Amino acid sequence: MKLTTLLRLALAGSRTDGIRVVLTAFSALLATVAILAALTVLAIPEIGDSVNNRYVNPLLDEHGLRGGTALTLVLLCIPILALAGQCARLGAPARDRRLAGFRLAGATPGQATLVAVAETGVAALLGVAAGLGAYFAARPLLDRPDAAGLRPLPTDVLPEPWQIAVVAVALPLVAALTAAVMLRRVVVGPLGVVRRARRTRPPLPWPGALIVLGLISFAAVIPVLRWYDARAQQPPFALVTTMGVGGALAATAGVILGTGWISYAMGGLLNRLSHRPAALLAARRLTSDPWQGARTFAALLACVIVGAGAAEMRGYFRIMRDLDVLAARRGGYEPQRDSFYLNSMDLVDIAIVVAVVIAAAGLVVAVGEGIVSRRRAYAALVASGVPRAVLARSILLQALVPILPSVVLALLVGMRLVGPLTGDEVANYGESAPFVHAWDTLAAYGALAVGAVLATVGVGLLLLRGSTAVEELRTG
Amino acid sequence: MTILRARGVVKSYGPTPALRGVTIDVAEGEILAVTGPSGCGKSTLLHCLAGILRPDAGEVTYGEHRLDTWPERMRARLRRTEFGVLFQFGQLVAELTAAENVALPLLLAGTGRREARTAAVAWLDRLGVAELADTRPGEMSGGQQQRCAVARALVTEPRVLFADEPTGALDSRTSEQLLGELTRVVRRQRTTVVLVTHDVQVAAYADREVALRDGEVDPTGLGLTAITGKHTR
Repeated sequence: MKLTTLLRLALAGSRTDGIRVVLTAFSALLATVAILAALTVLAIPEIGDSVNNRYVNPLLDEHGLRGGTALTLVLLCIPILALAGQCARLGAPARDRRLAGFRLAGATPGQATLVAVAETGVAALLGVAAGLGAYFAARPLLDRPDAAGLRPLPTDVLPEPWQIAVVAVALPLVAALTAAVMLRRVVVGPLGVVRRARRTRPPLPWPGALIVLGLISFAAVIPVLRWYDARAQQPPFALVTTMGVGGALAATAGVILGTGWISYAMGGLLNRLSHRPAALLAARRLTSDPWQGARTFAALLACVIVGAGAAEMRGYFRIMRDLDVLAARRGGYEPQRDSFYLNSMDLVDIAIVVAVVIAAAGLVVAVGEGIVSRRRAYAALVASGVPRAVLARSILLQALVPILPSVVLALLVGMRLVGPLTGDEVANYGESAPFVHAWDTLAAYGALAVGAVLATVGVGLLLLRGSTAVEELRTG
Repeated sequence: MTILRARGVVKSYGPTPALRGVTIDVAEGEILAVTGPSGCGKSTLLHCLAGILRPDAGEVTYGEHRLDTWPERMRARLRRTEFGVLFQFGQLVAELTAAENVALPLLLAGTGRREARTAAVAWLDRLGVAELADTRPGEMSGGQQQRCAVARALVTEPRVLFADEPTGALDSRTSEQLLGELTRVVRRQRTTVVLVTHDVQVAAYADREVALRDGEVDPTGLGLTAITGKHTR
């Protein structure tokens, strides 16, 4: 197949296909901007001992903080990629029919799959191009040094050209490869698309072990650092990074994968305890595809874990500041009232809220797609006299029943991850106080996550009336 | 005695007219076949009679009640309690077992779960698929799925069953078996049936046939069974 033919077939679709391409491109645009921003922060040269005195914000100016700033920007890609993953499911039935049409016209199974993969790749390429354009267009617009010559953003430095080239090539490739992996269970035939049967065994609670291992690995970082410190040695960077980042990632993966088991267990519980039709429909959906929760809520739960960690750190920094004030009062001098860390936590909170909003966009797509793909069964139920409110309640239960315990688990894991950093007692300027959990902020993050789910289900339910119209049942 | 009545029913989809003033009566306990070519308005007529759609003009009466003036909430309750509906395919909830699918209308009516399941299994048994009670639709053949759908449509013991091409997705042998079982059950229950079909073999199971053409009752009165002379009782 010629490249031009491939591109024509990849982008020849209905309006829903067009929306999917645009959303995939938009996700790629966001990811490109986030990664380029991270690379730009890392490109800032180290001038002076610890600060450059070139930027307004210490997160950019202090040498020791740039790595964390860049990491936060890269972490923003998690909800963005989750959004892209959900977008790939949008309009899947129509795309399946189109691919089957290609097969009927003589395309091989490989060619049909290639068309689907090319669609994602091309959309991502367009998004990356738009992202590069936005990045370079925004630089002169945002380059506003103040009277002292300090810039709000690092608009005076650029990543290396090879780094930009890697982003431009790697992102579309990763997107295309992801699409290929997602299609591995799909067999495109001339008469339609068949998905190979998924595993039928119920999920087991082994992700709990992953969470425990992750927490232990992360908690062991401080004793390891102390061990090397006691011997006046530098700890190996790879060891500390693997234990810290690897531990955090393992615990996060455990929470996300554990949602599969939670969905299954909660579905079973709901089935046993409730006798109402909405609960029965929701319970059976949860037990028949428990991994849907893990797929759908992955980004949101990652945000909650980071948010819980940030909330605890904010509580820690608050106590530190209070101890500073207390020590100053006792010593009869003026407290420093250094709000740098608390101000930094404000930026972290903004990043988390942005990530939750992006994750919620992915949820809207998932809920909407779930309703549209079941429209015929739903329409038949409504025609049989089942009130739409029963269907709406079942959809709401499907989302709420697994997310509530999953959010609690994510909050606990986030708290435990930073537990070794905060300790049980906080000491500063010779004063000490017991560490108090930031319950208010933790509750706010939990409410934000559950609220995002409720809002997205509400938006998704707008599709229910249209999807249960009698036209869905017409046979002639 | 007439149980359902349509008088001058008109229904359009945007600028396209589907029904242009259809008038028919359905007697209690009869099996009425509505036949006609594709696009003649048979499904639309069935949806109007069942209260799924509201006609643009004309009257639909069930017993003493003017369905065309009722709000959707009341019509939905009527469909749940007095009517049963059966479609060509895709009507079972994929995640529920056969017994749960059949029990669903009873659960909606407030019946206890155990009682609803007992009734559902009994209906599956009557239709010869009791052994599939704990099977999901994806693991059944088309004929088995349709038997479950028939059981679900009849589990509330409705006064009227509306069937829209109920065997359209089945092979002829399975179709005959299903229709044989369906008519046996509804005749025993004295259930009224409005059956939409374009298949003479299916129409032959009916007591009476109304043929539609271009959204109107065919004035010649010559339906599929009249033309072919087929009839199955």
